[in-house]
Parts: sequence; C-alpha cells; structure tokens
Amino acid sequence: MKRVALPLLGAALLVIGACAPDAQKAASAPGFDPKDFSGTWDRYPLAAQPGGEPVVLPSIPVAARVPDPPLKPEHVEAWKAERKKFADATAAGAPIATGYTHCQPDGMPAMMMGMFPMEVLQTKRQTTIIQEAYNQVRRIYLDDTLPAVEDAEPGFWGHSVGKWEGNDFVVETVGIKDYVKYNNTPHSDQMRIHERMRMIDADHFENEVTIEDPVYLTGPWQWKWIYQRRPNYKMYEYVCEDNREFADPVTGEARMRIGEKK
Amino acid sequence: MKLRPLFATLCLALSAGLAFAHHSFAMFDSDHQILLSGKVTQFTWQNPHVYIHLEAKDAKGKTSVWTIECANPGILNRTGWKFNMIKKDDRITAVVAPLRTGESGALLKQVKIADGRIFGNGGPAGPPSISIEDGKPLAGAKK
Repeated sequence: MKRVALPLLGAALLVIGACAPDAQKAASAPGFDPKDFSGTWDRYPLAAQPGGEPVVLPSIPVAARVPDPPLKPEHVEAWKAERKKFADATAAGAPIATGYTHCQPDGMPAMMMGMFPMEVLQTKRQTTIIQEAYNQVRRIYLDDTLPAVEDAEPGFWGHSVGKWEGNDFVVETVGIKDYVKYNNTPHSDQMRIHERMRMIDADHFENEVTIEDPVYLTGPWQWKWIYQRRPNYKMYEYVCEDNREFADPVTGEARMRIGEKK
Repeated sequence: MKLRPLFATLCLALSAGLAFAHHSFAMFDSDHQILLSGKVTQFTWQNPHVYIHLEAKDAKGKTSVWTIECANPGILNRTGWKFNMIKKDDRITAVVAPLRTGESGALLKQVKIADGRIFGNGGPAGPPSISIEDGKPLAGAKK
C-alpha cells in the first residue's frame, strides 16, 4: 500500500501545482462571489452514474483520506480494538448495530461528510446547513459567542459560531454528546471542532476540519472535505418512519425485521 | 440565484464514508444473488428504506413473501425511480442478495417492473451479478 501511495501522492502534488492557475482563474471569474456558499451540494467527487467511477476534475484533486485520530497512547488500544470489532463483524457478515440502526443522525462532525446532499442557507446573522439524511439541521450564528464548556448543553450538532476571515468562513463548535462519535473516536466535553470553509470556484467549496480535544488527543486532528454543487436540486424530506432494522438483543448484530408493514 | 452549469450527476459518490446510509449491507450475501419473480403484495415508499414485498418462488419451488430492501426515497429518486412506479399486484422480477440468516429477506440489486423497465438500487447497494432475464452469471460482474 505504501509503495503505491507515495507515487500517487507525488502525482497528486504535480497535478495541484500544474492546475493551481486554473483554479485561481475560475475563482476570479466574473460574477463569482467567494462568500456565497448558498445552494445544494454533494461530497466531491461524485460518480456520473450509480455505481460508476467518481468524476475527478484535473483542477480539483480529491481530498486525502481522513487520517486516524492522534489519540493519546492510553486510548489507542481501546480505539483499535473497537475498530477491529466492527470490521471483523462486518467481514463475517454480521455487522454490529450502530446509531444508524436506531435511526440516529450523524451529528457533528460526521454530518459534514455529506452522506446525502446538503443545503446551505445564508442570512446576515446565521448560516444554516441542512443534511438530507435524517433531516439534520445545524445553525451557525454570526456575531455571537460560544458558550463556556460547562454551559454548553450537549447535542448532536452542538453550538456553532461563525465569522469571516477574508473570504474564509471560520466556524467553531462545542457541546457534542459523548456518544456522538466520528470514526469511533472518543471525545470529551472539551472537544472543539474548527472548520474553515472556502469557495474553490463557483461550484466547489472545501471545508478544512480540525478537531482539538486535550483529554483524548495529542494534537489537532485534521482533514479536508470538498463539495460540489448539485444545481437546481430540491432536497427530499427524510423522516425515519419505517425502520425495519434492530439490534439483536443477544448478539448486538444489526438485524432486519421480515414481514409486511402493518 | 445564478444559473449554474448542470452536472450529469445521479448518484452518491462511493467512498468509505458513503458506502451506506442507514446500516451495513454485510448482512446480505452479495456473492450468492438470486432471481425472484412474482406478485407485489406491498410496496412502501418511506425512510429509512423503501420495501417491496414480493410473493415469489425460490429455486426449490417454495413460495414465500420476500421482504426486499431498497435504498431510500432520496437515493431512488436520484437514480430515476418514481414513488408510484411499483404497485400492489404488479408482476415484477428482481435480482436480490438474500439475508445470510436464511430468512426470506433480501437486498435489491436490480428490478424489472411491470412495464418492462429495469432499475438499479443506487450505487451503495452494488450491482447485480446475475442476469435479470435468466438468472445466469453476468460476465465480469462485480459483487
């Protein structure tokens, strides 16, 4: 894997270097507003057809895979064991039930991975992001201050405050429930999620995510997600009204209930 | 709102984080797909999954009502389905991956509806490995 990864990384860097002027050109195109994130978006790159290969633009390299969290040594073994337990169960055809099994939404930061299309609505004092899956809504308040950790009531999406730094929309989030995890990663009430959203061109934006947690992490955990515009899309509702999945009370496996809906 | 160039995008990207929307599909045996042909007894267009209930004979000639799990309405709409394209009493054919438990439940891979049109089940559910016409293995099919 490493033998393949290094040449690929080199090639990716070459592509980035060669295409940077194109990206700058696109970003300065007439009518382009670098502060306008409004609209509907998918995670980039998207397949042209179901099951097909994702379409990667030469000017926008695919973001690197989300790295493993920089957990403190005392938490690494438990995290690895948890990941292995899930991977082994899935490989054995008996996947372990998760929050999804019970129709629980992603919460933050997983909501921003863009499992389904998402919509961004911008007003002067608030940016609202709606994720189609599970009708998730997060509200980012501008001109506001974050609550202190001890005052931040835990939730799935927490409390978010945003501000502009040039053309970057910088968001900070606190107050995520301890069982709302991304990549099985534990976190404390001290966790802070920093996001830096930036328009790449009129139809793409990137979100640099940085997680800090002095209790569990040795340093910042960083990655980037990129989104592409889905023009003229109208978001579908998602009410989890007919959930046939359940956790087996003995094994904890995700199971499917057989039979017609009554 | 400015007009934007229209992308020919119909489905979700495939990556680890997007492989499934509601739960893992590992409970279904995609390596041993089967063909089911019969009459729809119920069709529900709801989240987190659309379901087809199909009265059909299996390979041993036993008739059962199969609970066939499809993607969710959002994915299916983006794949070209319509909420009312399958109705009770329709005769349809489906390629499915059965539950590993042996119960009469399955994940849809492909469906041929009453008017003859054929639809997939969105990218995350994966493609069929057998023909919807005769159940024979498809050359070069990915599981």
